[in-house]
Amino acid sequence: MAHHQPREDSISTVSRSLYRQGLTDGLPVIPPTDERVGKMLRGTDKPRDHVLGRLGNDDSPITVEQLASNAVMAGCLPTSMPILEAGIRALADPSSNSIQFSVSTGGWAYQWVLNGSVLDDFGVAAGSGPFGRNTRVSRATARALGIAYRNTTKIYPGEKDMGVMANPLKFSLFLAENETTSPWEPYHVTHGFDEGESTITLGGPNSFIQWESGADSPEAILGGMIENTPPSMVGGEQQGGDFDQTILHVLSSEDLETLAEAGLTKRGVKEYVSENSYIPIEEFQKGVLWDDALDDYHGKVDSRQVPQISGPEYVKLVAGGRSESQSNVVIGPSIGGPVTKKIEFPDEWGSLVTEYAVEG
Amino acid sequence: MGLITPSSTGNDAEQKPLVPRVTSLEGKHIGLYDNGKPAAEPLLTAVQEKLAQRYPDATFEWYHVEHLNQIKSDDEQESVVDWAENVDIGIGAIGDCGSCTKFLAWGIELIEDAGTPGVGLIDEGFELDYQSNAVERGRPLRYKKTPVRCETTDLDRVREEVSNEVVDGIEEELTRSLNDKERAEQVAQ
Repeated sequence: MAHHQPREDSISTVSRSLYRQGLTDGLPVIPPTDERVGKMLRGTDKPRDHVLGRLGNDDSPITVEQLASNAVMAGCLPTSMPILEAGIRALADPSSNSIQFSVSTGGWAYQWVLNGSVLDDFGVAAGSGPFGRNTRVSRATARALGIAYRNTTKIYPGEKDMGVMANPLKFSLFLAENETTSPWEPYHVTHGFDEGESTITLGGPNSFIQWESGADSPEAILGGMIENTPPSMVGGEQQGGDFDQTILHVLSSEDLETLAEAGLTKRGVKEYVSENSYIPIEEFQKGVLWDDALDDYHGKVDSRQVPQISGPEYVKLVAGGRSESQSNVVIGPSIGGPVTKKIEFPDEWGSLVTEYAVEG
Repeated sequence: MGLITPSSTGNDAEQKPLVPRVTSLEGKHIGLYDNGKPAAEPLLTAVQEKLAQRYPDATFEWYHVEHLNQIKSDDEQESVVDWAENVDIGIGAIGDCGSCTKFLAWGIELIEDAGTPGVGLIDEGFELDYQSNAVERGRPLRYKKTPVRCETTDLDRVREEVSNEVVDGIEEELTRSLNDKERAEQVAQ
């Protein structure tokens, strides 16, 4: 167990000391004392030295204790530990491509989507503001996972995190799916998990567009989904690149209801979006770097229009806020995953949730 | 008051020595390693043209990584080592973004693994990035900064940017004797 020895036990002194060592995101942190980390570990049944995963260029291990230290710093409660552990397993999964969206000049964010009964446990199961607003679990969990990744991999801004513009969403893009009012199965069920399970999903997008549909027809909503996905948000394998890039649509309850009442399934929406995402061929290359992106279309396209999105698998759907408005969001492109991991709870989970219900 | 450290410890890569440099590029079989970024091929093409003028007896052999991320696969890495074993020196390009600088360091490391002296060509803004990735991979890999604009594929423009100073620098990194740090074996990071 390694220790730092700051001179005083104040948030400002410890924050300054850790900041100078590159161990924070610049905001004040809660000092990760033995006592606080010990309390945080109530949120897991795993031993302190258990290695949750290996991250970064040189597969640096991250232990439960290290994660708990970052969780304390970020302001988490012990009830965040199960989510954090699953989040680390997502970051450690090679298919998340987390290294690339951590170092790339593009400037990317860690995008998290929470699903399942854990939403009820935190009281974020329904209602407005699925991206968190001031919800502690949303803000602190995303922050803890961000600094835990950075502190484990030593990918520091300007040294190996080379995002030219950086990204203000980097450690704060955390979404709780509004499962209760959605007409369709939740995201994690679509991706192979049981409805009773809780999961966290990781993607690596760089852009966030919010749009108001104002629509009363399914065609208008579907058209809005396509129009609000600019060419710069699309690319990857479907356009000659070397990995998948996916787009995440977060739709309002009202628009979801309109689509469902028209008989559309979630799969049907994805197919419609990909099949109707045609844009002028001259605009196609704006979002990609590869010279051979249009090879598949040469000699086959009469109208000089090509689809931006070549299949429904590149479109992801999540239920968003309730029906006060028809606000929708497009997030993308994710250059990693998305990967989804099951959240595993400690034996005393129920009592822990009750104990921290007021604070959480 | 004791604080529990939030950072990883104890997994620093052991540092290996660089491969000894050559005395001259005269008559050498020169490897050109394209890491899959758009600017890599024109940059290496311009370097090849300049070196061919200086060393008419030199021969060249290319290695193209089709897409940047392919270098993550074990098969691709083995293929790079196999290729590098058959050239006398390796010149790699390009480090002009976060991902490609990291993967360029991986490529030059593989060239050195093959027993061949290597040098990476990078955009000047990525010097610290290349250095830290190189040390993390296990060697203080050599590099030469170039003024080639990020993502450019304009060969004529690149030809202008690959000046005699740039080519002199590449030669320098491939021929200058190793210093103590570069020769050292099993030095902790």
